[in-house]
Amino acid sequence: MAMLEVRDLDVYYEKFQALSGVELDVQRGQIVSLLGANGAGKSTLLKTISGILKPASGSIYFDEKRIDNLQPHDIVNLGIGLVPEGRKIFSALTVRENLLIGSYTGRARRTRNKTLEDVFHLFPVLKHRSQQKGTDLSGGEQQMLSIGRALMSQPRFSIFDEISLGLSPVVVKELYRTIKRINQEGMTVVLVEQDVKRSLKVANFAYILQEGRITLKGNPRDFTEEAVKKAYFGV
Amino acid sequence: MLRFLEPIINGVLLGGLYAVIGIGLSMIFGIIRQVNLAHGELMILASYFSLLTLQLLGLHPLLTFLFVLPAMFIFGYLIQALLFNRVMGKGMEPFLMISFGLSIILQNALLLIFTPDARSLKNTLVIQSLNVYDLFHVPLIYIVNFAVSILVIGLLHQFMKRTYLGWAISASAEDLSAAKLMGINPKRVYALAMGIAAVTAAISGVLVGMTFTFYPHSGTQYLIIAFGVVIIGGLGSLPGTFLGGLILGISQLAGGHIIGPGFQLLSGYIILLVVLTIRPQGILGRG
Repeated sequence: MAMLEVRDLDVYYEKFQALSGVELDVQRGQIVSLLGANGAGKSTLLKTISGILKPASGSIYFDEKRIDNLQPHDIVNLGIGLVPEGRKIFSALTVRENLLIGSYTGRARRTRNKTLEDVFHLFPVLKHRSQQKGTDLSGGEQQMLSIGRALMSQPRFSIFDEISLGLSPVVVKELYRTIKRINQEGMTVVLVEQDVKRSLKVANFAYILQEGRITLKGNPRDFTEEAVKKAYFGV
Repeated sequence: MLRFLEPIINGVLLGGLYAVIGIGLSMIFGIIRQVNLAHGELMILASYFSLLTLQLLGLHPLLTFLFVLPAMFIFGYLIQALLFNRVMGKGMEPFLMISFGLSIILQNALLLIFTPDARSLKNTLVIQSLNVYDLFHVPLIYIVNFAVSILVIGLLHQFMKRTYLGWAISASAEDLSAAKLMGINPKRVYALAMGIAAVTAAISGVLVGMTFTFYPHSGTQYLIIAFGVVIIGGLGSLPGTFLGGLILGISQLAGGHIIGPGFQLLSGYIILLVVLTIRPQGILGRG
């Protein structure tokens, strides 16, 4: 059984149907890429997986446990971490406080000081700036902070939402290297991107969403450029 | 010039008390984005509770804090957990209705139990005053009020800056969905925050009970003061609330001194209107 299973998911914003019949499987240890144009439903799917939105019908299983009826904080506690689009750094808190607040759930809270050391090891720049306000960091550093904060909940499964948005290619390359490294240490990863090429290069499996439906799935090495374009734009 | 010294000094001291009256209202607005219309009743409930413990145990009113504050924390936690949490995320109106209903229920319950008679938390601080070099007189109770106020605001500031729960509260206030992704359960954080707000209300309630007389319906009057404080200072800002308290206190006493004692409230609210005109978000409020 897959680590994450999404079955026949329908999600609405009031009357507007944002997702219809979405099916998605993420196998343990994989890097899965989720692609789609603006408004295709990627963020809606992530919000539903993390419990912020409730589906109208369908189900989501994580490690064979049904999670679509749980609250976000319970889902975090089960081991799903989300790096939100736009980083969402808390401006009232320092870098260190931003990280520590990531360990708020019962399971992660006990070992938070040790996890903090691990995150500082992964992103040494955060350690140097730990007493600064989170929002005073550069864009790339804020993205590292956002990733580090998600890791503080000690997830086994991490979702990265648009992490390359607005960052220089050098920084993006470094972030991707870090993600690969985390993956090799056992983390299952979902990448949500508009940057198709880079994302397909690192992924073991990919899904393309268009207008709330999955239009293409498979091993990205088997994708032809034409098929990707058709699934992405519908032309 | 010297004849203004006394009202200004007393205004500052009274302003400290006003700041504590307003701080719970400001805090709940900052965190939950809701206005708690029962804030004044929480204060007066604490005044009566203090009266009860003082009569039963013969304690000094300030020592009744030991019983009143934990009880009011639990009361605040429970009203949020059992009542307000049911209408979170459903707009302003349901919260306003529940808090208005709660204020009516509390007022009438107090009326039923304690009768409409005027009460006070008797203590000797009220009748003593400090003579400063024959320049001006300060009632001792005002100094106590101000000292307690500084202590409360300082502690609240440290709590928000240094504790894990304080960070969780400011994270939830800033971006609720991001806070949820951190594993924060907002309903629990809200209940704890309401408990803390009720404790600050209780502190001001006991101080008010020691300084003035109170009735079951006194809460309304203090809710209006709390509104004045947070509107002048800026809703949701801790330093703003303190500043708002001082400005309202000074303008009431200094204004009363100039125009006449009957016009204290008027001069306070003229300043309020001036602030609303020039800076509607309050002096230290965020745009």
